[in-house]
Amino acid sequence: MILLSLPSRTDRDLYPALMSPEMCAKYPADHKAFVRIDTSLRVYWHTLFDICPELLELSGPDGMSIFRPFMAWAGEKKLAFDWFYYLWVYAWLRQSPFKEQVFADKKYLRSVMGASVARWAILDRGRNCGIVIGCADTTDIVIGWKCRNVRFGREVELIEPEEPLPPPPELFGYFTLPSFELDIFPGWQGVTR
Amino acid sequence: MRLGFNFTLGDTYDLVQRLIAEGHIDYCEYLIDNFFCVDPDEIAKAFDCPIGLHVMYSRFLEADRPTLVDFAARLRDYIDATNAIYVSDHILRFTHEGRAFFHLGEIDYSTEYEFVRDKVLEWQEIVGQRIHFENYPSIMDGGLEAPTFFERLTKETGAGVLFDASNAVCAYRNCGTPLEAWRNVIAKAQHFHVAGYRNSMIEPFISLDTHADSLSPETVAFLENFRSVFDKPGATMTYERDQEIEYDDIVADLKLLRGLFGEPQERRHDLVVSA
Repeated sequence: MILLSLPSRTDRDLYPALMSPEMCAKYPADHKAFVRIDTSLRVYWHTLFDICPELLELSGPDGMSIFRPFMAWAGEKKLAFDWFYYLWVYAWLRQSPFKEQVFADKKYLRSVMGASVARWAILDRGRNCGIVIGCADTTDIVIGWKCRNVRFGREVELIEPEEPLPPPPELFGYFTLPSFELDIFPGWQGVTR
Repeated sequence: MRLGFNFTLGDTYDLVQRLIAEGHIDYCEYLIDNFFCVDPDEIAKAFDCPIGLHVMYSRFLEADRPTLVDFAARLRDYIDATNAIYVSDHILRFTHEGRAFFHLGEIDYSTEYEFVRDKVLEWQEIVGQRIHFENYPSIMDGGLEAPTFFERLTKETGAGVLFDASNAVCAYRNCGTPLEAWRNVIAKAQHFHVAGYRNSMIEPFISLDTHADSLSPETVAFLENFRSVFDKPGATMTYERDQEIEYDDIVADLKLLRGLFGEPQERRHDLVVSA
């Protein structure tokens, strides 16, 4: 249902809709507010599928059979959309119509884990230099490193350890690294909403 | 007017070195919080030119004080190591009810002034530095109130405005904020940004600050018409390009800006001293 009376004078009026395809549909498509919200939603879309293009093999080229239900699910759970964004996509995929394909091929899990540590390295402004993510569905771990000198960007490493770390107690776990060395295992921290 | 280029990640390192060597830019602006794990001395020595520091993710409107104190302590190391000619930041919303925006949110200038003013005062006090805050490429009509907001903010906090000329053009195209309304802000500003923008994917088109295109004719006309208001001793203008990075296109725009503003009167050394 399109509601012509929704407030839309300021950007702030639109904040709740900027991450909700469902709310976007309530604005008239010929209105600037609709375009503003659509622009915001496209960034969420591109942040997912440009970085994890494998997911389009599941959904089809427009990605909407993943994007729309995931965003609605994330909205219900009020997920923070920080660097856990991709991990929550995987959590949703595991209970979606795509779950068998996701379990059958590790590339989807590796892709979201890599994307997640890369996003941490981009957005985190704490003092830690790196992050390690583990998942109960694999013994592989993925590490993300922040930019360590002016000539290079962030780095992502996939490690298949000969002696696997204990699995995280929940689906995903992580720990951070205070230096550019993987020389500690302080235990897993849980992914929060 | 000194011209600079924004350095956001290592993949444009060689490009920036070449721009400096060929005399197209006079200084480099680091998106500094991308480099918080890099030694400050390395940052200071990487480019043989003065340095400006642009902050993206302080989130000073939303972060708690201990987080800001820690952020500022690290920022301070880079300010001191580089003898930065300016420090700039953004007045933005990064989250709503704890959920992150991926396309960052503009504040409500009419209802949030006192809150932002107090935060600006606190943030400058924590950093121990005058900070220049960038204007947003407004989309919605609340952007009409931005020039008055920034004028008042600078008067009451001592902060500066990092005036982004192409963001003002976006705001004019999107919500009709007159370019003339920025005259007093521009007159008092020392540091500027300029970049390309792009239309939204769907109609009715809005202009988005993409940093992916050459300068638009509207932006160039704006700079020409206000040239004497922009240009002043100590002024800097950073050309931003983060995507579709083509050296020749960038140089063409920098030459256009150089032609518009002329060769800077100050030498590089003077720019450092003036900081």
